[in-house]
Amino acid sequence: MSAVWRLARPLVQAGTAAYLLLPILAIVLFSLATRWTSSILPSGYTLDHWTAAFGDPRLVAAFARSIGLALGAAVLDAVLVVPAVYWSRVRNPRIRTVLQVSAAIPFALPYLVIAFGILTLYGGNPITAQLNNTLPELLLAHTAICFPFMYWAVDAAMSAAGIERLAEAAETCGASPAQTIRRVIVPNILPGLVSGGILVFATSFGEFAVVQVLIGGSFETVPLWQADALYSTNPRFDELAASAVATFGLLFVLSAIVVAADRRWAARFRRGGVTAAPPIVETGAAIAESPTQIADSPT
Amino acid sequence: MLLAPALQLIWGSLVRDGSPTLANWVDVLTSPRHQREIVGTLLLAGVSASVATLIGTPIALLVGRMPAVRRSGWLALLNVAANIGGIGLGFALVATIGSVGMVTLALRGLGVPWTPPPVDSFEGLVLGFAYTNVPLFVILTLPAFGILRDDWAEAARVSAASRTQYWRRIGLPILAPFLGAGWLLIFTWSIGIYSLAYALAGTGGVQRVSLMTLRIGTTIQSDVFSTWRADVLAVILLAFALVALWSYRLLLRRGARWFR
Repeated sequence: MSAVWRLARPLVQAGTAAYLLLPILAIVLFSLATRWTSSILPSGYTLDHWTAAFGDPRLVAAFARSIGLALGAAVLDAVLVVPAVYWSRVRNPRIRTVLQVSAAIPFALPYLVIAFGILTLYGGNPITAQLNNTLPELLLAHTAICFPFMYWAVDAAMSAAGIERLAEAAETCGASPAQTIRRVIVPNILPGLVSGGILVFATSFGEFAVVQVLIGGSFETVPLWQADALYSTNPRFDELAASAVATFGLLFVLSAIVVAADRRWAARFRRGGVTAAPPIVETGAAIAESPTQIADSPT
Repeated sequence: MLLAPALQLIWGSLVRDGSPTLANWVDVLTSPRHQREIVGTLLLAGVSASVATLIGTPIALLVGRMPAVRRSGWLALLNVAANIGGIGLGFALVATIGSVGMVTLALRGLGVPWTPPPVDSFEGLVLGFAYTNVPLFVILTLPAFGILRDDWAEAARVSAASRTQYWRRIGLPILAPFLGAGWLLIFTWSIGIYSLAYALAGTGGVQRVSLMTLRIGTTIQSDVFSTWRADVLAVILLAFALVALWSYRLLLRRGARWFR
């Protein structure tokens, strides 16, 4: 057994790394290749596809829209989640159940189903029907489906920072709840808030189903542009490759920031900064209970 | 914003032309086309989740035992791979294992007459889904590997158990609920994958694989007069997801006793 294992281990590692890295390598090369038909590597390299892709006002506009939408969803989620989690931890623990259930829904329901439900729900009433196919509706929908990522990040951060005690101390000094949140809670959970925001941003940025169903071509985001480049009668594979590499790069930078933020934060608590770290058992159970913290949306 | 749409879908699936009826359900469930889609979705999700579990478990075991620095490198890679998705990933896979993809060409160059499965076939979709599912599985189950205490392995060794015996009698039974929970999550996740399936299998023309999500997508966009089809399929998806998540919670509760 152990001999087999020793032999298999490097193979498993190399195989996994190859499977994960090769498509990325392939698409990077594709975006730089002049012609690539029958040889293993492209016959020549050029930056033309990149300049063509990012010289195209349509794609640039799509990037601007995607970034704007994702930022909007991240900010809205932060504004909604922080007071709600604060309240559920400090004042009314019964809200917790409601929050946890709502946070499970977008993970349980395919985004496509949620989008379709929203569409028919609003379409059934003449007043809300006006909202259909509008940007506010899309923004609200993205805020809703990305909410769990913010919720789990903020909830974990508040638990680690021991905000119950902080809130008590702040109130003893005569701070109002709004002051407590702004001056005491937010600075203490900032790393969690940032990671949550980044996860929301990344989810919303790459989300395809909800955008396609709710608003379609009238608000072309990057994924919609990519689908069009893939399936239109004049496919634009080279520019598609460049835009995909740009998107992957953005994701990579964002997830690096999340990892770095988590690390600095963990280091701070190890040094015994603000409060003691929570008992190991509790964090372990918390991870098992909400294991999707780092997960994102391949839908 | 989340609950009301679900209720609306259930309601929509029970109404046609303004009057309540069960005809929608009967029509969908008896139509061979929709039956194929339902079976296709379940089969694809089941196979994808099993692949993710079979490959992901040894990887999680490996990553969990790495020294901190190498481990965070691997975690970063897995995290990025789990986050990549949609149209871009679909295209990257075509460029890698498509009929003129990089790996295909490389293997042919080495004299291996390998013809990859078409990306819009069942095998192609399984390969594609594995790209995000395996890393996701590793990330989700990694925390569970922490519960295997070193004392147990030591105790087993002292009692003259071989490594195989240790894993079969102690390691795997303890991990089983968590691996099962991971399987269920990947299953739920795969049922609902839309954009990657859209990129790989497309929606128009001849489809080799029938999936419920793809049908819902085409129905919404082109078949405005019978959206009840989409309603019914969406409710079925919803039911699958709820059952899977409910079993997930049950399993985790069983597994969590080792945390105490």
